[in-house]
Amino acid sequence: MLVLAVGSLPVRRLPFHREVSAMLIVQVIVNWLLLGSLYAAVALGFSLVWGIMNIVNLAHGAFILVGAYTAYWTFTQLHIDPFLGLPLTMLLLFCLGWVVQYVAINRVIRAPFLVTFLLTFGLDLLIADVVQLLFTSDRRSINTAYSGFGLTLGTLHIPFDRLLAALIAVLLTAALSLFLQRTRTGNAILATGMDRDAARLMGIRIDRIYALTFGLGAALAGAAGAMLVELYPFDPSQGGVFTLRAFVIVVLGGLGTPWGALAGGLVFGLAETVVPLLPGIGPGYDDAIAFALMVLVLIFRPRGILGKAFYA
Amino acid sequence: MIRLFSYLHLPRRHLAHTGHDSSFQSRSSATRLPLPIILLSLLLALLCSTGLLACGGTASSSNTLLFGAPISLTGSTATEGHLTLEGYQLWVKEVNAHGGIKVGNTTYQVALKYYDDGSSPTRSAQLTQQLITADKVNFLLGPYGTSATLQDEAIAERYKIPMVEANGAAKAIFSRGFHYIFGVLSPASEYAKVMLEAALSLPTPPRTVAIISANDSFSEEVATAARDFALSHGMEVVYYQTYPSGATDLTGVLTALKTSAHGGVPDMLLGSGHESEAVTTMKECKQLNINAKLYAFTVGPATPDFITSLGPDANYVLGSSQWTPQERYQGIDFFGTPANYERIYKQTFGHEPSYQSAESTAAGLAFQYAIQNAGSIDPQKVRDALARLNITTFYGVIRFDATGANTFKPMATIQIQNGQVVTVYPKEVANAQLLYPTPPLSQR
Repeated sequence: MLVLAVGSLPVRRLPFHREVSAMLIVQVIVNWLLLGSLYAAVALGFSLVWGIMNIVNLAHGAFILVGAYTAYWTFTQLHIDPFLGLPLTMLLLFCLGWVVQYVAINRVIRAPFLVTFLLTFGLDLLIADVVQLLFTSDRRSINTAYSGFGLTLGTLHIPFDRLLAALIAVLLTAALSLFLQRTRTGNAILATGMDRDAARLMGIRIDRIYALTFGLGAALAGAAGAMLVELYPFDPSQGGVFTLRAFVIVVLGGLGTPWGALAGGLVFGLAETVVPLLPGIGPGYDDAIAFALMVLVLIFRPRGILGKAFYA
Repeated sequence: MIRLFSYLHLPRRHLAHTGHDSSFQSRSSATRLPLPIILLSLLLALLCSTGLLACGGTASSSNTLLFGAPISLTGSTATEGHLTLEGYQLWVKEVNAHGGIKVGNTTYQVALKYYDDGSSPTRSAQLTQQLITADKVNFLLGPYGTSATLQDEAIAERYKIPMVEANGAAKAIFSRGFHYIFGVLSPASEYAKVMLEAALSLPTPPRTVAIISANDSFSEEVATAARDFALSHGMEVVYYQTYPSGATDLTGVLTALKTSAHGGVPDMLLGSGHESEAVTTMKECKQLNINAKLYAFTVGPATPDFITSLGPDANYVLGSSQWTPQERYQGIDFFGTPANYERIYKQTFGHEPSYQSAESTAAGLAFQYAIQNAGSIDPQKVRDALARLNITTFYGVIRFDATGANTFKPMATIQIQNGQVVTVYPKEVANAQLLYPTPPLSQR
């Protein structure tokens, strides 16, 4: 990702007339909303784990990877559509996340920040290597029967699979928000995020809440992976890219609410979809712009666009 | 992977000692080593480094020539890296099977020492240094990709160890005045040219072309050459755009491209980048309902992954290739012809060779004949012999110009037809007709 700064040598442009019609603008806005929502799904689990447990989970990208390969495997071996297989993928990732938290991370949860950093980094390497061992480093991709279909209105085209992915992303965000606000378990998670010791005094089993939170985070990462593998080619080296993106999105959107991930995702998506269309700026700068936006947000709204003190 | 294995294979008692249940106090005392052990290990390290004890690395016996290469076996160019490695390995296997390299009265066996650079050019440079200083390799074979080659050639130059590289085609590699770098592949400017020539050879050639390119130095060089060639041959370049190398989403670029040809889709889409971006472009063209009459990618279609990950959507796509098994060269080497190389390669690895494999094997051949011609394994003499080399192999002509680039070998255009790679241009080596125009992606 950070290659971008290197390659931004000015390119001689040809004087071609770019007709920016109204339809094109609508198409770009549609692209932006679809991609932004997908990015929200990428960051949702990361935001939850960071907000509640104060862990910057560097293995998040690895969970996305496992989700992607699970979806790939169920599609190629069991012929289950990635969208239909989403609950299965999420369940598997939930179990994986639960076990990882219960066995490994709970033991260092009170250790300094750097220890969890190191542990999740190690987990990231381990998981990515296991994935590579099982699936090799070859690039994989899913081609469903409906991948070329969509809604067409004149020149406006809304791809069916992207639309579905965006809808699921928004749905997951809303579901997580409702779960945290409305259910007893959700409230227990929030309480643990606000004050770990007070929550324990109220009779909350902290280790289980953490395992549940981490499991949820992994399940959401798995859902993102399953949707990504349908839209993009995938290989085991890509986990890190998505960890970094999740990080930027969460910083942009702010901790404290699942809707922060959606806001961050939309802002991040802006740089990849709208910016290439602006005259004078090419897509060569899209990541530079995304990071510049992050710096601006940090200056003017240090807690992010929708950030709050706690996950409340 | 190595990391993983050592983790899994660590004896259980070790795991128990380093387990998380030990308290902080006991852990700190357990990690403190007694002074004698530290002193002893320092002594051992000293002995190793002065060569009194032969430990670590591949001990190169007097009759073995050691070739070193950092290769991207993981990371973004892992696929291409593995193909590169297989190309090197095949050469090593065959040269040893044919009795090794004869230098004067001595016959040398050949060995390969390689490391995974994780697709990182910086890491690649560190490993090149390590290969030279720690592993004491005799000669260097190149890494995968222009960016890594640019880093590594500087190290080779500093230590005056000749490097024959097979996977970096940018002009930048050969324009730094270095004397120890040689590349067996055709230069970057040829990649797009051969595909545009193929398109122009059609009865009703595409008139408008959109060029999109990754922003690394190799891809940009290819794209610039493509634009100049298209403009000078009467094609209209309606869209020219670069995007960040390694981009995962190209909808922004493709949306702009969709209406760039006077409000419509350009006749031809030419992508200059890497395999992952080529696959992404095809997937997103389908998602966004963009139907050009011809799709062409400089890197990607020639690798087996391209077909497996795109399925039927890979059909009709053009690619440029440094080498195809259909070409008709009569080489002086033990492979002889492209067809024979393909046969031996398939026997050894169980799959078709790609051009990355062939050019990597060719790099080995270049060394082999240069060493024989030099009659010496002295790096300086071998370098001079490389500069004078002029041979025809199964891969084509290997001959270097003053900068070290092989400007004497033509490229070929391939097309994917029914999931198979066929050669469609130049006509003399083609084994199939160029299929044109491409049917809409949604009707596959």
